[in-house]
Amino acid sequence: MTSFPSGFFDPLPRILVADDFDHGMSGWLDLRPNFVAPGFREHSSDIDLIHWGPTMLSSATFAFGGTHGSASGTYSLKISSRAAAAPADQPPAAGSMGLAIKRLAVPGDARRLRIEALLAYKVEQDRPGLGVDDLRAFGMFVDLQDDEHRYMPGVRYVNAVGGEAVRRWQYYSPTDATDEEWSYGADGWHKAGVDPQWFGERGPDGSTVATTWFEDGEQHLIYNESDDKLNWTPFSLTVDLVNRSYEEFRVGGRSFRFPDGAHPTLAPAYNDIEGLLNPVFFVEADTDRRVSLFLDSVLISVERGEAA
Amino acid sequence: MKTFYTSVVELRQPFDHAIETHPYECGWADEAIFFVELHDPEPGTAVELRVQVSPDGIRWIDEGTVLTTTSTTFARVSHFGGFLRLAGTARQADGGAASATVSVRLALKG
Repeated sequence: MTSFPSGFFDPLPRILVADDFDHGMSGWLDLRPNFVAPGFREHSSDIDLIHWGPTMLSSATFAFGGTHGSASGTYSLKISSRAAAAPADQPPAAGSMGLAIKRLAVPGDARRLRIEALLAYKVEQDRPGLGVDDLRAFGMFVDLQDDEHRYMPGVRYVNAVGGEAVRRWQYYSPTDATDEEWSYGADGWHKAGVDPQWFGERGPDGSTVATTWFEDGEQHLIYNESDDKLNWTPFSLTVDLVNRSYEEFRVGGRSFRFPDGAHPTLAPAYNDIEGLLNPVFFVEADTDRRVSLFLDSVLISVERGEAA
Repeated sequence: MKTFYTSVVELRQPFDHAIETHPYECGWADEAIFFVELHDPEPGTAVELRVQVSPDGIRWIDEGTVLTTTSTTFARVSHFGGFLRLAGTARQADGGAASATVSVRLALKG
C-alpha cells in the first residue's frame, strides 16, 4: 500500500486499486484506438484518434515556482493535450485532448463502483498572464460492460468555451442518435453512446447530444491565480452497477444530485469485453495551447453483495 | 526493481519541415532512449533531430546529442533533469525543406 492521503478518500469496502503515482504509472497509459487495420492502421478514421497528447509522471515543475510536487510525495499523473482546439460545436481537433486509461475487470458480485481522485488542472505557462480560460474541459468516465450493455457513466467540467468562463458540471446521458450520427456521419465501429468524450454532435455552449447539465452544476473550482499553482481537489463518482445508473458525485466541498434513475446511454454489448472496467480521465484544450490534468491519487473501490 | 515506461510521444505525426516533439516530463528516470521512425519518406528525405533539455518544459537548450536518419534510429540520453524533447528539421537530399511523418518513442528507466 502506498502513502496516499487517505483523509481525502471515502472508499467503498473493497479497494481494487490505490494509485499514488510516486511509484510509477500504475497501469495508466494513453488511450489509443485499436490498431487492427492493414498496416497496423487504426480501426476507424471518423475522427483523428491517434494524436492526443501523451501521459506522463509529473513533478509539476514550473519556471518561477520550481517543483510543486503532489499532494503526497513528488509525482502525479499528468494528462496533457497538444496545442490544438476546434470550436466547441465541432468534433474535437487532432491533439486537442489528452486521455489516460487503466484497464481492469469488474470483480464478482460488485454492485456499486466508486472512483475517487485528487486532481488539479493547468494551462501551460508559456506566456504572461492567466491562462485559465484556455482550458475547455476535463472529466472522467468509466467504460463498463455487463452481459447486456456497454455503458459509460461519467462527468465533465466545462471550464470555458471560446475563451469565456462556463464553470459547470455535466454528466453523460442517453442519446437517441443513430450510430452513424454518433460518429459524425461515418459508418464506423462505434455504437451510439460509446466514447461520449469525442463522439456525438456538439453544441456551441459545451454540451453534446449525450450530456446533461447538473441543475445546480455551477462550481468555481480552485484553478488559483497563476498557471503554476495547483490545489489538489477531491473527486468522487459512484455508480450503481446493478441498475446501470448514477448514484453520487462529489467534488471539493460540493455534492451534485443526479435526477432519480439518471444513467448514460446503454449501448449493445460488444464482443469479448464482458466485465470491462476501464476508468478514463481526460482534459481538453479550448485554444492552441497545451493544457494538463494532474492526478494524485486515484482510488477505485466496490461494494459487493445483494442490493439492499 | 526499477520503474520503466515507454511513451509513444509522437505517433505517425506529420511535420512540415520544422520538428518539435511534445515536452515530456521524466525527472524520475535515470536513463532514456529516443527511438525515431520515419514513415514512408520521399527518397533522400532525412530528419536531423537534436536532443533538448529544459528546466521547465518551456525553455529548451541543446543537450549535445544529434540524430540523423532516413529511416529509423535511436539515441541514448542520461543525466537530463526533468524534461526531454527532440527538435530539428526534415530535409530533402539537396538540402531543401521537406515534410516528414515521424513516430517517436521514449523509453525511460529509473
